[in-house]
Amino acid sequence: MKRETDYGYKIKPVYSPDDIPGFEYRKDLGDPGSFPYTRGNHHQGYRSRMWTQRMTAGLGSSTDANKVLKKYREMGQRGGMCVISDRVFSDCIDPDHPLGRREAGVLGWPGCSLLEFEELMEDIPLTGQSITLLGSCAPTCLRLAYVVALAEKRGIDPREVHGSVIESPFENYFGQTDSQPFDLNLKLFLDASEYVIRNKIRMRGNICSQHIQESGGNNAQALAIELSMYKEIYGLLVNERGLDFDEVALLPYELVSIGSRFFEEIAKVRALRRMYARMAREEFKAKKEKSCQMLIAVHTSGRTMTYQQPLNNIARCAIQTLAGAIAGCTALDNATMDNAYAEPSPLAARMSLNTQHIVAVETGVTDVVDPLAGSYFVECLTNKVEEEAYKILHAIDEMGGMIAAIEQGYIQGMLRDEANFKFREVESKERLIVGVNHLAIPAEEDFEIPIQELHAGDSEAIARRMEEWKKTRDLPSVTQRLTQLYADAGKGDRFNLMPSIIEAVKAYATAGEVMGVIRKARGLSYDPFNVIDCPFVLQ
Amino acid sequence: MSKGNGIKVIVSMIGLDGHTTGGEVVSMLLRDAGFDVVYLGVNQTPEMIVEAAIQEDVDAIGISSHASNYSQIEELMDLVRKNDLDDVLVVCGGNIPKRQIERLTAKGVAKVFTPGSAGSEIVDYLVSNTRRLVTQ
Repeated sequence: MKRETDYGYKIKPVYSPDDIPGFEYRKDLGDPGSFPYTRGNHHQGYRSRMWTQRMTAGLGSSTDANKVLKKYREMGQRGGMCVISDRVFSDCIDPDHPLGRREAGVLGWPGCSLLEFEELMEDIPLTGQSITLLGSCAPTCLRLAYVVALAEKRGIDPREVHGSVIESPFENYFGQTDSQPFDLNLKLFLDASEYVIRNKIRMRGNICSQHIQESGGNNAQALAIELSMYKEIYGLLVNERGLDFDEVALLPYELVSIGSRFFEEIAKVRALRRMYARMAREEFKAKKEKSCQMLIAVHTSGRTMTYQQPLNNIARCAIQTLAGAIAGCTALDNATMDNAYAEPSPLAARMSLNTQHIVAVETGVTDVVDPLAGSYFVECLTNKVEEEAYKILHAIDEMGGMIAAIEQGYIQGMLRDEANFKFREVESKERLIVGVNHLAIPAEEDFEIPIQELHAGDSEAIARRMEEWKKTRDLPSVTQRLTQLYADAGKGDRFNLMPSIIEAVKAYATAGEVMGVIRKARGLSYDPFNVIDCPFVLQ
Repeated sequence: MSKGNGIKVIVSMIGLDGHTTGGEVVSMLLRDAGFDVVYLGVNQTPEMIVEAAIQEDVDAIGISSHASNYSQIEELMDLVRKNDLDDVLVVCGGNIPKRQIERLTAKGVAKVFTPGSAGSEIVDYLVSNTRRLVTQ
């Protein structure tokens, strides 16, 4: 069995002051709430702000997802809700599209119109909790439009709503794919980001390393790619969109993946906060302290949840949740024991939320901030992962930044190689996974857990509903607003499309229609899959 | 490493599933074992996969699934039969629940490799069960 980190640093049996030469508390760590924020953003830690305890929802119809959200509330979800999109909405086609109707509501929420969002949020407040809608980059502008439109309908100032609906265009390279081209995704991401920054809407943008790791990336690669994405996006918002860095810095949040190698995961998060703070101050000349504080949410790792002996995942989830809590986070959603099978069953969701509650109230972990600071081992690991990440970060810089590195295939190659490397490590038993390559049992002896199922007929029902509902809309109004959007989309990348997207969404234009019209204005086919034609006559 | 010599295999996601890591890892290990791999990637409909199988004259189709959209694998099997591709071996890999495995095998999927399957197991299965070996 290997005794080394996932980025190849060989771990020694004992650590001492010699392993952290030149260690300076003020410079390297600082108190919690002080630069470089290695120890966390808040002086009082969880005593001043408890992490948001949430669980990801989304499967079947919007009404089904609404019921699940209400159930999570009963189970003790606190501070915020989190919904993931199905593949159809992620791709910005509609459930009644020939490809959409085969998997609407599969793997997530079929949020292809404002109607779906209204149903999702029925009897659920928009304020007083964070509203997080996940998926892929392409529907970013739609998710934001839904929040603005529903807030207005409910008579709420959109600036009172907080959460996250924006997702970075880099996600397409890390398994969170959608079928829109990178330049279009980037443009719409920048439009949505600029819109929330200028209008002071507290909707965050998810620029996350979670999917980098779920696609195979190691801890050092995750930090390097993460910071490279931030650099690229900050540069564009500041230089191209003319925004002030200290305002732009309020936009993003990081969703970090936490696996089972306990100390390494904690070290990774500490290093990330420090690297980020230095980048904000040195490279972007941050004027405000808040601009140097990276907002970090934790997702315990789905990739570590095994198919075999799924009850073992409860133990893994507990270890990872504890690591996430010790590392310091603003929100935590944990994986579930059935993660290797399906979306969480009520039993699995309750288990995972209870895991958070047990960590929060029974372990004492919330009493003290960054309890492992000063451990020779953890400080050494923090330095090591940072050192390795800087090497990769500099290589990406030399290529011309994140976009250039993707264009050259560097990032994709790195992740592909790493995924293969990890597969071989498991095959050769250099890394042991209980129940998989260590202490495996015959499948028939395995304990069967309840699995959530969705049937083809459920997708078809969602598709038919949309088909019928589309005809009941005020079609002249839909057409008129889509025509305006079409005209605006032809005005160049710097022309912000959010206002006309919001107007179209308010008239109940759907995801497929909004994206289709924008695509058409850019000389692309209306349908990314070239199966359907544009049903509107656009002047 | 020429076990798979001459055996041509499609590796593909199906439908809108964007989880590519498993399919890419398997493609790589099959290539390393000497197979001729046609990697179709994402956004492939059952129709597109069957079309590619005919065009490329493959011996096997491997569907990597991480998206619970199993009905499309069933549709694929119907199309395989309709197009007289009964001698093309169809296998799946991914986190497919037991009940679904039973349904898929009843539909004619030869084998489902669940997570944790060894690379050598996949290679040996394809070497022993594809038509090319039988006709050689």
